[in-house]
Amino acid sequence: MSNEIAFTMESLGWAAWLETLDLADATPEQIAVLEESTPTAKNSPYYLLLVQDVDALRERSRLYNAIMYGKRGLRRADRELGAVVTSRVNGCVYCASVHVQRFAQLTKQPEIMQRILDEGVETELDAHSRAIVDYAVKLTRTPHLMTKADLQPLRALGLDDGEIFDLANAVAMFAWANRLMLTLGEPVHQS
Amino acid sequence: MSSTEGPRTPGDIIDSLVGIAADSPLQAIRALRSDVVQHTQGSYQALLMPAAPGDLSLIERAQAALRSAALTPSVTLIAHYRARLTQLGESAAAIDQIEKFTDSTAVAPRTAAILHHVELLITAPKTATPAHLQKVQQQGVSVPAVVALSQLIAFVSYQARVVVALQLLEEK
Repeated sequence: MSNEIAFTMESLGWAAWLETLDLADATPEQIAVLEESTPTAKNSPYYLLLVQDVDALRERSRLYNAIMYGKRGLRRADRELGAVVTSRVNGCVYCASVHVQRFAQLTKQPEIMQRILDEGVETELDAHSRAIVDYAVKLTRTPHLMTKADLQPLRALGLDDGEIFDLANAVAMFAWANRLMLTLGEPVHQS
Repeated sequence: MSSTEGPRTPGDIIDSLVGIAADSPLQAIRALRSDVVQHTQGSYQALLMPAAPGDLSLIERAQAALRSAALTPSVTLIAHYRARLTQLGESAAAIDQIEKFTDSTAVAPRTAAILHHVELLITAPKTATPAHLQKVQQQGVSVPAVVALSQLIAFVSYQARVVVALQLLEEK
């Protein structure tokens, strides 16, 4: 698109390219799925678009919440890092803006996020972040070329198989989320 | 949110695709995340085998999934969605045409539009414009069906990465 918005840590909006559901026409089931998806879903064009396939959205929202907020395994900041890196590689400016903020809230380290946004995933990072980023980048770009050797840097950090699975789930979830956000609408500046 | 531990879905698709044995360490890792397992399976069912497929048939769903798997690429999922199309009554030749999609005139215009949309989402989602959605809608695909199609393609993108990640963990 022209006037394309660059990667940013500021809050953005998102506008749908297809007709969204008018909340006045929503079924009780659609309202229930919106309410359990995320607190702002009833005012979100993204959720009001997706709720038109209500069963798919219910499952997707429950899966998303389990992967990103499930209380076990990989620390939440590392799941957010996986989400940001995937969004940066796929070019999803909207998703990146949301998850750089979540990472910054959890870690109080916004500068890592600013560098990933400005310089990309090759930017200089501490060993922990580098291992997470490299795994996320490869799983995003070339899943078919991954080998067991790609797990070694994560194991060297002390991550167990469950934590590696949590990271993979976050990256995979954003392979999904980025594709919806990028192809059903576009980021907009909030008025 | 919905992070309660529900009963484990027995024999879900991911276990069967990766070949995760009951009582194996990887099965235990998944069982600890039963909500992830349950809603991965639930998403698969809602998108690939919905009770009410609406304006996107079961065959069209499996075709879009197969082409998504071919472009990702995921050898495991190509085999899985080929088998699904066979189960739905499609011939091997017809399935080949969907998987390779080298000739867009060899399939119906609506199928071609769906498969072009798959290619956009899997290989170049960043280049999407409203005109791409219009091309699909012009083939009579309703807005809810475009939503379902987009969810389905994006889901296969998720599923392929989950399968790879588990295959690497399984390969001790």
